[in-house]
Amino acid sequence: MEHGVHDAPVGPGAWVSALLVLVVAALYAAGVLRLRTRGDRWPTARSAAAAGGIAAMGAALLPPLGDRPEFVAHVVGHLLLAMVAPLLLALAAPVTLALRALPITGRRRLLAVLHSRPARALTWAPLVAVLELGGMYAFYLTDLFALAHAHPALMALVHLHMVLAGLLLSVVLAGRDPLPHRPGLLGSLVLLLVVAAGHDVLAKLMYARLLPAGAGSPDQLRLGAQVMYYGGSAVEIALAVALMAGWYARGGRELRRERARERGRGRISAPAPAGSPARG
Amino acid sequence: MDTTATRPATGRSVLAGVLIGVGVAAFLDETVFHQLLHWHHFYDGAGLEAGLVSDGVFHAGGWLAIVVGLFLFADLHRRRATVPKRVWAGGFLGWGVFQVYDGLFQHKVLGLHQIRYEVDLLPYDLAWNISGAVGAVVGIVLLLGPARPIGVRPGDEA
Repeated sequence: MEHGVHDAPVGPGAWVSALLVLVVAALYAAGVLRLRTRGDRWPTARSAAAAGGIAAMGAALLPPLGDRPEFVAHVVGHLLLAMVAPLLLALAAPVTLALRALPITGRRRLLAVLHSRPARALTWAPLVAVLELGGMYAFYLTDLFALAHAHPALMALVHLHMVLAGLLLSVVLAGRDPLPHRPGLLGSLVLLLVVAAGHDVLAKLMYARLLPAGAGSPDQLRLGAQVMYYGGSAVEIALAVALMAGWYARGGRELRRERARERGRGRISAPAPAGSPARG
Repeated sequence: MDTTATRPATGRSVLAGVLIGVGVAAFLDETVFHQLLHWHHFYDGAGLEAGLVSDGVFHAGGWLAIVVGLFLFADLHRRRATVPKRVWAGGFLGWGVFQVYDGLFQHKVLGLHQIRYEVDLLPYDLAWNISGAVGAVVGIVLLLGPARPIGVRPGDEA
């Protein structure tokens, strides 16, 4: 690539990326600060998740990783940017933070967007799967990879698509923000299975066909494909744990309410007859 | 003392067991045969590309099953609705059926990869598939036998 000839250690892309990462970090920090000064609590775990997500974004986009020419560096960047960062940001509950930090008009506007028809359509599970897998398959298996490397603007668009698709997937599956039309547990698990299997199949296709073409020597491509396969699985396991932990916590709250009701009823009526526990 | 009536959840116990069983089979396959022994290959170039789809679904399904199965099991326990023998039944059944599916369908029909390379495969294939079949039979026997939920022990009833 001709860009390498110039003695520019940090290209314009890196500056834009750095600015983007800083803006995200500043917005989240401002929200937490506003809550704190008001005397409200904001869970430290959520702030930590946000910090981790922002760090993952920064690590993927900025030098040294963002500049490395090896294919495996690209794959690690992809994993950080499109999978790790979105999961951590989804766990950081940014929408809840915004709803609590914004003044009433901003809050109303944000709620209107969240409940709008496009938002509802975007969180429809099959569309989430197509957006997530479609972008990756097109990028890695077609000429789009080489084309994007020749045109920085196209590469920025591809990156943006992957981050947003990954964010959408993480928010729908494991986000801690309330979402009006989230799929049920079974639907979420099927979505995760389809996306995870699609990711595994893509990595093996890259390995088998030595794609993307021109991205490096066969050995580099095989290494990149394996990092994609196992790294992707690791993040998807984390996604599954986050999804199930959310389900488990919701079930726990339900169970506590149920037991509180039972205790209340026990106090009013006579105690249950001894020696006859319900056996179903 | 908590007086919430816990109904034994037989179906969920079997389901949790099956998921954990499938997950353990997939985990053993990945760690022992792929990573530790290096008997299995990431991709041996001999199989049909369609086999990659089956492989991808089962690799992803394997770890997903173990995560979901463990959370389901924890949920049963906190509700004191676990039927332990049914969990074991499901576990053996899940492991055994997965093992035989992997051994017969993925290895033989799809030709995805073999258990080991440059050796006489027959004893390996027999050991692989017979152990799976035995696991499945043990699961079925446990499934049909008597079972009692953890919530209701003889001493607990008064």
